[in-house]
Amino acid sequence: MTHPEELLADYVDGTLGDDERAVVVAHLEGCAACREEVELARTAVQALAALEEEPVPLGVTGPVLSEAGRRSERRRTELWGRVQWIAGAAAAAALVLVVAVSLDLGGSDDEAARTLGGDAAAESAVPAPEEGSDPSATIEGVEQQIGVNYTDEGLRTLAQESAVERDAMLGATAGDGAAGATGATGATGGAGEAETEDEGGDVAFAGPGPAIACLRSAGAPVDAPRDRLIRLIEAEYEGTPAYIAVFSEGPGADQAADRVVIWVISTGDCQILTLLQQAL
Amino acid sequence: MPDRGDRDEDLVRRHLSGDRGAFAMLVERHERRVYNLALRMTGREEDARDATQEAFLTALRKLSSFRGEAAFTTWMHRVTVNACYDLLRKRQRQPLLDRGGEDELPRPEPPPAPDHADDTAFSIDVRRALLEVPEDFRVVMILHDVQDLPQDEVAAILGVPVGTVKSRLHRGRIALARALHVERERGGAPGPSDGSVTL
Repeated sequence: MTHPEELLADYVDGTLGDDERAVVVAHLEGCAACREEVELARTAVQALAALEEEPVPLGVTGPVLSEAGRRSERRRTELWGRVQWIAGAAAAAALVLVVAVSLDLGGSDDEAARTLGGDAAAESAVPAPEEGSDPSATIEGVEQQIGVNYTDEGLRTLAQESAVERDAMLGATAGDGAAGATGATGATGGAGEAETEDEGGDVAFAGPGPAIACLRSAGAPVDAPRDRLIRLIEAEYEGTPAYIAVFSEGPGADQAADRVVIWVISTGDCQILTLLQQAL
Repeated sequence: MPDRGDRDEDLVRRHLSGDRGAFAMLVERHERRVYNLALRMTGREEDARDATQEAFLTALRKLSSFRGEAAFTTWMHRVTVNACYDLLRKRQRQPLLDRGGEDELPRPEPPPAPDHADDTAFSIDVRRALLEVPEDFRVVMILHDVQDLPQDEVAAILGVPVGTVKSRLHRGRIALARALHVERERGGAPGPSDGSVTL
Protein backbone atom coordinates (compact mmCIF):
# COMPACT_ATOMS: atom_id res chain seq x y z
CA MET A 1 0.00 0.00 0.00
CA THR A 2 1.29 3.46 -0.86
CA HIS A 3 0.85 5.90 2.00
CA PRO A 4 0.15 9.56 1.12
CA GLU A 5 2.83 10.72 3.55
CA GLU A 6 3.48 14.01 1.76
CA LEU A 7 -0.15 14.98 2.44
CA LEU A 8 -0.44 14.02 6.09
CA ALA A 9 1.16 17.14 7.61
CA ASP A 10 -1.22 19.35 5.66
CA TYR A 11 -4.11 17.05 6.54
CA VAL A 12 -3.34 17.53 10.23
CA ASP A 13 -3.03 21.29 9.66
CA GLY A 14 -6.36 21.30 7.83
CA THR A 15 -4.89 23.04 4.82
CA LEU A 16 -5.52 20.43 2.13
CA GLY A 17 -7.78 21.14 -0.80
CA ASP A 18 -10.98 19.11 -1.18
CA ASP A 19 -9.58 16.61 -3.67
CA GLU A 20 -6.43 15.85 -1.72
CA ARG A 21 -8.34 15.67 1.50
CA ALA A 22 -10.70 13.11 -0.01
CA VAL A 23 -7.69 11.01 -1.04
CA VAL A 24 -6.33 11.06 2.50
CA VAL A 25 -9.69 10.32 4.11
CA ALA A 26 -10.17 7.33 1.80
CA HIS A 27 -6.71 6.08 2.62
CA LEU A 28 -7.13 6.47 6.37
CA GLU A 29 -10.26 4.33 6.32
CA GLY A 30 -8.19 1.36 5.30
CA CYS A 31 -4.82 2.11 6.93
CA ALA A 32 -4.49 1.76 10.68
CA ALA A 33 -0.81 2.77 10.64
CA CYS A 34 -1.57 6.14 9.03
CA ARG A 35 -4.53 6.68 11.35
CA GLU A 36 -2.22 6.19 14.31
CA GLU A 37 0.34 8.57 12.81
CA VAL A 38 -2.28 11.24 12.28
CA GLU A 39 -3.42 10.90 15.89
CA LEU A 40 0.15 11.16 17.12
CA ALA A 41 0.79 14.19 14.93
CA ARG A 42 -2.32 15.89 16.31
CA THR A 43 -1.12 15.25 19.84
CA ALA A 44 2.22 16.85 18.98
CA VAL A 45 0.62 19.91 17.38
CA GLN A 46 -1.54 20.46 20.47
CA ALA A 47 1.48 20.05 22.74
CA LEU A 48 3.53 22.54 20.75
CA ALA A 49 0.67 25.05 20.70
CA ALA A 50 0.73 24.98 24.51
CA LEU A 51 4.33 26.18 24.62
CA GLU A 52 4.35 29.80 25.64
CA GLU A 53 6.75 32.39 24.33
CA GLU A 54 9.40 33.22 26.92
CA PRO A 55 10.54 36.80 27.56
CA VAL A 56 14.08 37.62 26.54
CA PRO A 57 16.27 37.80 29.65
CA LEU A 58 17.75 41.18 30.39
CA GLY A 59 21.16 41.95 29.02
CA VAL A 60 21.16 39.37 26.23
CA THR A 61 21.45 41.89 23.45
CA GLY A 62 23.51 44.47 25.36
CA PRO A 63 26.89 43.20 24.07
CA VAL A 64 25.50 43.13 20.53
CA LEU A 65 24.38 46.73 20.74
CA SER A 66 27.75 47.75 22.18
CA GLU A 67 29.49 46.06 19.28
CA ALA A 68 27.12 47.76 16.84
CA GLY A 69 28.01 51.10 18.44
CA ARG A 70 31.75 50.43 18.15
CA ARG A 71 31.41 49.43 14.50
CA SER A 72 29.35 52.48 13.77
CA GLU A 73 31.96 54.66 15.45
CA ARG A 74 34.75 53.05 13.40
CA ARG A 75 32.78 53.63 10.21
CA ARG A 76 32.22 57.22 11.22
CA THR A 77 35.93 57.69 11.93
CA GLU A 78 36.85 56.19 8.56
CA LEU A 79 34.32 58.38 6.83
CA TRP A 80 35.60 61.45 8.67
CA GLY A 81 39.14 60.55 7.60
CA ARG A 82 37.98 60.42 4.01
CA VAL A 83 36.18 63.74 4.34
CA GLN A 84 39.32 65.33 5.74
CA TRP A 85 41.40 63.88 2.93
CA ILE A 86 38.97 65.22 0.36
CA ALA A 87 38.91 68.58 2.12
CA GLY A 88 42.70 68.65 2.11
CA ALA A 89 42.85 67.74 -1.55
CA ALA A 90 40.24 70.35 -2.37
CA ALA A 91 42.14 72.98 -0.39
CA ALA A 92 45.34 72.08 -2.23
CA ALA A 93 43.53 72.30 -5.56
CA ALA A 94 42.08 75.65 -4.55
CA LEU A 95 45.54 76.89 -3.61
CA VAL A 96 46.91 75.96 -7.02
CA LEU A 97 43.97 77.62 -8.72
CA VAL A 98 44.17 80.79 -6.64
CA VAL A 99 47.91 81.09 -7.09
CA ALA A 100 47.50 80.59 -10.81
CA VAL A 101 44.77 83.21 -11.00
CA SER A 102 46.81 85.60 -8.83
CA LEU A 103 49.80 85.22 -11.08
CA ASP A 104 47.65 85.81 -14.14
CA LEU A 105 45.84 88.82 -12.78
CA GLY A 106 48.64 90.17 -10.67
CA GLY A 107 46.58 89.86 -7.49
CA SER A 108 48.29 90.08 -4.12
CA ASP A 109 49.23 87.12 -1.91
CA ASP A 110 46.96 88.49 0.80
CA GLU A 111 43.96 88.16 -1.44
CA ALA A 112 44.99 84.61 -2.35
CA ALA A 113 45.32 83.70 1.32
CA ARG A 114 41.94 85.16 2.17
CA THR A 115 40.32 83.27 -0.69
CA LEU A 116 42.04 80.06 0.31
CA GLY A 117 40.87 80.39 3.87
CA GLY A 118 37.30 80.86 2.76
CA ASP A 119 37.35 77.88 0.40
CA ALA A 120 38.99 75.55 2.86
CA ALA A 121 36.46 76.45 5.52
CA ALA A 122 33.64 75.79 3.09
CA GLU A 123 35.05 72.41 2.05
CA SER A 124 35.64 71.15 5.55
CA ALA A 125 32.37 72.34 6.96
CA VAL A 126 30.47 69.50 8.62
CA PRO A 127 26.71 69.83 8.66
CA ALA A 128 25.34 70.41 12.12
CA PRO A 129 23.18 67.62 13.50
CA GLU A 130 19.51 68.03 12.83
CA GLU A 131 17.73 69.61 15.74
CA GLY A 132 14.09 68.80 16.30
CA SER A 133 11.85 70.27 18.93
CA ASP A 134 13.47 70.32 22.36
CA PRO A 135 13.24 66.72 23.64
CA SER A 136 14.20 67.77 27.16
CA ALA A 137 11.10 69.93 27.54
CA THR A 138 9.28 67.03 29.18
CA ILE A 139 11.81 66.51 31.98
CA GLU A 140 13.25 68.63 34.73
CA GLY A 141 16.85 67.89 33.80
CA VAL A 142 19.36 65.14 34.28
CA GLU A 143 18.88 63.46 37.66
CA GLN A 144 22.31 63.21 39.23
CA GLN A 145 22.56 59.80 40.87
CA ILE A 146 26.27 59.95 41.45
CA GLY A 147 27.69 56.73 42.87
CA VAL A 148 24.57 54.74 42.05
CA ASN A 149 25.33 51.65 40.01
CA TYR A 150 22.48 50.13 38.01
CA THR A 151 22.42 46.46 37.13
CA ASP A 152 19.95 44.82 34.77
CA GLU A 153 17.75 44.12 37.76
CA GLY A 154 17.92 47.78 38.75
CA LEU A 155 16.93 48.83 35.25
CA ARG A 156 13.96 46.51 35.36
CA THR A 157 12.86 48.08 38.62
CA LEU A 158 13.37 51.52 37.10
CA ALA A 159 11.20 50.56 34.13
CA GLN A 160 8.45 49.35 36.43
CA GLU A 161 8.68 52.48 38.57
CA SER A 162 8.61 54.68 35.53
CA ALA A 163 5.55 52.91 34.21
CA VAL A 164 3.80 53.42 37.53
CA GLU A 165 4.92 57.06 37.79
CA ARG A 166 3.76 57.72 34.27
CA ASP A 167 0.34 56.33 35.10
CA ALA A 168 0.27 58.45 38.25
CA MET A 169 1.23 61.54 36.29
CA LEU A 170 -1.46 60.86 33.74
CA GLY A 171 -3.97 60.41 36.54
CA ALA A 172 -2.96 63.51 38.49
CA THR A 173 -4.50 66.86 37.79
CA ALA A 174 -1.27 68.68 38.45
CA GLY A 175 2.23 67.22 38.53
CA ASP A 176 4.78 68.66 40.91
CA GLY A 177 7.77 67.41 38.95
CA ALA A 178 9.05 65.39 41.90
CA ALA A 179 8.11 62.02 40.45
CA GLY A 180 11.73 61.24 39.69
CA ALA A 181 12.83 61.55 43.30
CA THR A 182 12.38 57.86 43.96
CA GLY A 183 14.49 56.85 41.01
CA ALA A 184 17.55 55.72 42.92
CA THR A 185 15.61 52.89 44.52
CA GLY A 186 15.74 51.14 41.16
CA ALA A 187 19.48 50.82 41.38
CA THR A 188 21.39 48.07 42.97
CA GLY A 189 24.91 48.00 44.13
CA GLY A 190 27.37 45.16 43.77
CA ALA A 191 25.94 43.35 46.77
CA GLY A 192 22.42 43.72 45.44
CA GLU A 193 21.45 46.42 47.93
CA ALA A 194 19.97 49.71 46.87
CA GLU A 195 22.48 52.50 47.05
CA THR A 196 20.42 55.51 47.76
CA GLU A 197 22.09 58.51 49.25
CA ASP A 198 19.20 60.84 48.98
CA GLU A 199 16.14 58.70 49.38
CA GLY A 200 13.31 60.95 50.37
CA GLY A 201 15.51 64.02 49.89
CA ASP A 202 15.99 66.48 47.06
CA VAL A 203 17.24 65.25 43.75
CA ALA A 204 20.00 67.23 42.06
CA PHE A 205 19.40 68.03 38.40
CA ALA A 206 21.88 69.07 35.74
CA GLY A 207 21.25 70.72 32.40
CA PRO A 208 20.22 68.16 29.80
CA GLY A 209 22.17 69.52 26.81
CA PRO A 210 25.21 67.19 26.78
CA ALA A 211 23.10 64.16 27.70
CA ILE A 212 20.62 64.84 24.91
CA ALA A 213 23.46 65.29 22.41
CA CYS A 214 24.96 62.00 23.56
CA LEU A 215 21.61 60.19 23.29
CA ARG A 216 21.01 61.64 19.84
CA SER A 217 24.45 60.55 18.73
CA ALA A 218 23.78 57.00 19.96
CA GLY A 219 20.56 56.86 17.95
CA ALA A 220 18.14 57.10 20.89
CA PRO A 221 14.67 58.26 19.84
CA VAL A 222 14.97 61.77 21.32
CA ASP A 223 13.41 63.31 18.22
CA ALA A 224 10.97 60.51 17.38
CA PRO A 225 7.37 61.72 17.45
CA ARG A 226 6.09 58.55 19.09
CA ASP A 227 8.58 58.74 21.99
CA ARG A 228 8.48 60.99 25.00
CA LEU A 229 11.46 61.37 27.28
CA ILE A 230 10.08 60.99 30.78
CA ARG A 231 13.26 60.63 32.78
CA LEU A 232 16.97 61.18 32.28
CA ILE A 233 19.45 59.94 34.85
CA GLU A 234 23.22 60.19 35.13
CA ALA A 235 24.57 57.24 37.11
CA GLU A 236 26.53 54.09 36.39
CA TYR A 237 25.52 50.93 34.60
CA GLU A 238 27.54 47.84 35.53
CA GLY A 239 30.30 50.18 36.69
CA THR A 240 30.37 52.34 33.55
CA PRO A 241 29.29 56.00 33.84
CA ALA A 242 26.09 56.20 31.88
CA TYR A 243 23.09 58.25 30.88
CA ILE A 244 19.91 56.31 31.50
CA ALA A 245 17.06 57.67 29.41
CA VAL A 246 13.52 56.49 30.04
CA PHE A 247 11.05 56.96 27.18
CA SER A 248 7.37 56.25 27.03
CA GLU A 249 6.63 55.04 23.55
CA GLY A 250 3.48 54.50 21.54
CA PRO A 251 2.91 52.66 18.29
CA GLY A 252 2.57 55.95 16.43
CA ALA A 253 3.03 59.68 16.81
CA ASP A 254 -0.45 60.44 18.13
CA GLN A 255 -1.16 57.17 19.84
CA ALA A 256 -1.12 56.39 23.54
CA ALA A 257 2.13 54.99 24.90
CA ASP A 258 2.10 51.23 25.29
CA ARG A 259 5.54 50.65 26.74
CA VAL A 260 8.53 52.11 28.53
CA VAL A 261 11.87 51.90 26.75
CA ILE A 262 15.14 52.53 28.58
CA TRP A 263 18.32 53.44 26.71
CA VAL A 264 21.59 53.20 28.61
CA ILE A 265 24.38 55.15 26.96
CA SER A 266 27.98 55.45 28.07
CA THR A 267 28.72 59.06 29.06
CA GLY A 268 32.33 58.66 27.92
CA ASP A 269 31.80 57.76 24.27
CA CYS A 270 28.02 57.81 23.84
CA GLN A 271 27.94 54.10 22.99
CA ILE A 272 24.84 52.03 23.67
CA LEU A 273 25.43 49.86 26.73
CA THR A 274 22.05 48.20 26.79
CA LEU A 275 18.37 48.59 25.98
CA LEU A 276 15.35 47.49 27.94
CA GLN A 277 11.64 47.68 27.33
CA GLN A 278 8.65 47.11 29.52
CA ALA A 279 5.06 46.92 28.32
CA LEU A 280 2.68 49.34 30.00
CA MET B 1 15.89 58.68 12.95
CA PRO B 2 14.36 55.21 12.59
CA ASP B 3 10.67 54.85 13.20
CA ARG B 4 8.68 51.87 14.32
CA GLY B 5 6.76 52.06 11.05
CA ASP B 6 9.94 51.48 9.04
CA ARG B 7 10.18 48.17 7.24
CA ASP B 8 13.04 45.89 8.23
CA GLU B 9 14.65 46.38 4.86
CA ASP B 10 14.54 50.17 5.36
CA LEU B 11 16.23 49.74 8.74
CA VAL B 12 18.95 47.62 7.10
CA ARG B 13 19.56 50.41 4.59
CA ARG B 14 19.61 53.01 7.36
CA HIS B 15 22.08 50.93 9.35
CA LEU B 16 24.36 50.54 6.36
CA SER B 17 24.27 54.25 5.77
CA GLY B 18 25.40 54.92 9.35
CA ASP B 19 22.16 55.34 11.30
CA ARG B 20 23.14 54.15 14.76
CA GLY B 21 19.62 53.53 15.98
CA ALA B 22 18.56 51.36 13.05
CA PHE B 23 20.32 48.17 14.10
CA ALA B 24 19.11 48.61 17.67
CA MET B 25 15.58 48.75 16.33
CA LEU B 26 16.10 45.59 14.28
CA VAL B 27 17.37 43.84 17.40
CA GLU B 28 14.45 45.09 19.45
CA ARG B 29 12.01 43.93 16.80
CA HIS B 30 13.40 40.42 16.36
CA GLU B 31 15.02 39.48 19.68
CA ARG B 32 11.97 37.70 21.03
CA ARG B 33 11.56 35.37 18.07
CA VAL B 34 15.29 34.79 17.82
CA TYR B 35 15.64 34.01 21.51
CA ASN B 36 12.63 31.70 21.60
CA LEU B 37 13.78 29.82 18.52
CA ALA B 38 17.18 29.36 20.16
CA LEU B 39 15.59 28.35 23.47
CA ARG B 40 13.44 25.66 21.88
CA MET B 41 16.31 24.41 19.74
CA THR B 42 18.88 24.20 22.53
CA GLY B 43 16.64 23.64 25.55
CA ARG B 44 18.89 25.66 27.84
CA GLU B 45 18.57 29.32 28.71
CA GLU B 46 22.33 29.76 28.79
CA ASP B 47 22.71 28.28 25.32
CA ALA B 48 19.78 30.31 24.05
CA ARG B 49 21.44 33.51 25.29
CA ASP B 50 24.70 32.55 23.58
CA ALA B 51 22.97 31.59 20.34
CA THR B 52 20.94 34.80 20.35
CA GLN B 53 24.04 36.94 20.81
CA GLU B 54 25.92 34.99 18.17
CA ALA B 55 23.02 35.30 15.74
CA PHE B 56 22.82 39.07 16.11
CA LEU B 57 26.60 39.49 15.97
CA THR B 58 26.66 37.44 12.78
CA ALA B 59 23.84 39.55 11.43
CA LEU B 60 25.81 42.67 12.30
CA ARG B 61 28.89 41.36 10.51
CA LYS B 62 27.05 40.11 7.45
CA LEU B 63 24.34 42.71 7.08
CA SER B 64 26.26 44.36 4.27
CA SER B 65 25.86 41.13 2.29
CA PHE B 66 22.10 41.08 2.83
CA ARG B 67 20.79 41.75 -0.67
CA GLY B 68 17.12 41.76 0.09
CA GLU B 69 16.33 38.74 -2.11
CA ALA B 70 14.68 37.21 0.95
CA ALA B 71 12.74 39.05 3.63
CA PHE B 72 14.92 40.15 6.52
CA THR B 73 12.88 37.92 8.85
CA THR B 74 13.71 34.89 6.73
CA TRP B 75 17.38 35.85 6.64
CA MET B 76 17.50 36.48 10.39
CA HIS B 77 15.85 33.12 11.10
CA ARG B 78 18.41 31.41 8.88
CA VAL B 79 21.26 33.09 10.74
CA THR B 80 19.69 32.03 14.05
CA VAL B 81 19.20 28.42 12.97
CA ASN B 82 22.85 28.28 11.90
CA ALA B 83 23.94 29.75 15.25
CA CYS B 84 21.91 27.07 17.02
CA TYR B 85 23.38 24.26 14.92
CA ASP B 86 26.90 25.57 15.62
CA LEU B 87 26.23 25.73 19.32
CA LEU B 88 24.68 22.26 19.43
CA ARG B 89 27.67 20.85 17.57
CA LYS B 90 30.03 22.51 20.05
CA ARG B 91 28.03 21.13 22.93
CA GLN B 92 28.22 17.60 21.48
CA ARG B 93 32.00 17.88 21.40
CA GLN B 94 32.13 18.84 25.08
CA PRO B 95 32.93 16.13 27.60
CA LEU B 96 29.75 14.76 29.12
CA LEU B 97 30.56 16.02 32.62
CA ASP B 98 30.90 19.61 31.39
CA ARG B 99 27.53 19.76 29.68
CA GLY B 100 25.21 20.11 32.63
CA GLY B 101 22.25 20.08 30.25
CA GLU B 102 20.12 17.89 32.42
CA ASP B 103 20.17 20.49 35.18
CA GLU B 104 18.50 23.09 33.03
CA LEU B 105 15.11 21.42 32.83
CA PRO B 106 14.58 20.01 36.29
CA ARG B 107 12.07 17.26 36.71
CA PRO B 108 8.87 18.78 38.04
CA GLU B 109 8.24 18.38 41.72
CA PRO B 110 5.10 16.52 42.71
CA PRO B 111 2.40 19.14 42.22
CA PRO B 112 1.14 20.63 45.49
CA ALA B 113 -1.42 22.81 43.68
CA PRO B 114 -2.85 20.68 40.90
CA ASP B 115 -4.40 23.36 38.67
CA HIS B 116 -1.37 25.42 37.76
CA ALA B 117 1.26 22.78 38.41
CA ASP B 118 -0.29 20.51 35.79
CA ASP B 119 0.26 23.16 33.13
CA THR B 120 3.84 23.73 34.21
CA ALA B 121 4.68 20.03 34.30
CA PHE B 122 3.11 19.56 30.88
CA SER B 123 5.12 22.44 29.45
CA ILE B 124 8.34 20.96 30.82
CA ASP B 125 7.38 17.57 29.37
CA VAL B 126 6.97 19.13 25.96
CA ARG B 127 10.26 21.03 26.18
CA ARG B 128 12.09 17.87 27.19
CA ALA B 129 10.40 15.74 24.56
CA LEU B 130 11.24 18.30 21.89
CA LEU B 131 14.92 17.85 22.66
CA GLU B 132 14.60 14.13 21.97
CA VAL B 133 13.60 14.83 18.38
CA PRO B 134 16.53 15.06 15.93
CA GLU B 135 17.52 18.65 15.18
CA ASP B 136 16.52 18.70 11.50
CA PHE B 137 12.99 17.68 12.44
CA ARG B 138 12.88 19.78 15.60
CA VAL B 139 13.68 22.99 13.79
CA VAL B 140 10.85 22.48 11.30
CA MET B 141 8.32 21.99 14.09
CA ILE B 142 9.57 25.01 16.02
CA LEU B 143 9.37 27.27 13.00
CA HIS B 144 6.00 26.00 11.76
CA ASP B 145 4.08 24.76 14.80
CA VAL B 146 5.49 27.08 17.47
CA GLN B 147 6.37 30.23 15.54
CA ASP B 148 3.56 29.84 13.00
CA LEU B 149 5.68 30.38 9.92
CA PRO B 150 4.20 28.99 6.68
CA GLN B 151 5.83 25.93 5.17
CA ASP B 152 7.27 27.80 2.19
CA GLU B 153 9.00 30.27 4.50
CA VAL B 154 10.37 27.42 6.60
CA ALA B 155 11.69 25.91 3.37
CA ALA B 156 13.34 29.22 2.45
CA ILE B 157 14.92 29.55 5.89
CA LEU B 158 16.34 26.04 5.79
CA GLY B 159 17.19 26.03 2.08
CA VAL B 160 15.26 22.81 1.42
CA PRO B 161 12.29 22.02 -0.84
CA VAL B 162 8.79 22.48 0.59
CA GLY B 163 8.21 18.74 0.18
CA THR B 164 11.08 18.09 2.57
CA VAL B 165 9.50 20.46 5.09
CA LYS B 166 6.18 18.58 4.86
CA SER B 167 7.90 15.26 5.34
CA ARG B 168 10.06 16.43 8.25
CA LEU B 169 7.08 18.08 9.85
CA HIS B 170 5.04 14.90 9.82
CA ARG B 171 7.90 12.66 10.95
CA GLY B 172 8.95 15.17 13.59
CA ARG B 173 5.46 15.40 15.03
CA ILE B 174 5.23 11.64 15.35
CA ALA B 175 8.63 11.53 17.02
CA LEU B 176 7.61 14.28 19.43
CA ALA B 177 4.37 12.54 20.37
CA ARG B 178 6.25 9.32 21.05
CA ALA B 179 8.90 11.13 23.07
CA LEU B 180 6.16 12.87 25.02
CA HIS B 181 4.60 9.52 25.75
CA VAL B 182 7.97 8.22 26.97
CA GLU B 183 8.42 11.33 29.15
CA ARG B 184 5.06 10.76 30.81
CA GLU B 185 5.62 7.05 31.25
CA ARG B 186 8.93 7.87 32.87
CA GLY B 187 7.12 10.13 35.31
CA GLY B 188 9.39 11.99 37.69
CA ALA B 189 12.34 9.64 37.37
CA PRO B 190 15.46 11.64 36.58
CA GLY B 191 18.09 10.54 34.11
CA PRO B 192 19.21 11.41 30.63
CA SER B 193 17.55 9.84 27.67
CA ASP B 194 19.53 7.94 25.06
CA GLY B 195 18.13 10.47 22.58
CA SER B 196 16.59 7.86 20.33
CA VAL B 197 13.08 8.41 19.09
CA THR B 198 11.37 6.43 16.40
CA LEU B 199 10.75 8.58 13.35
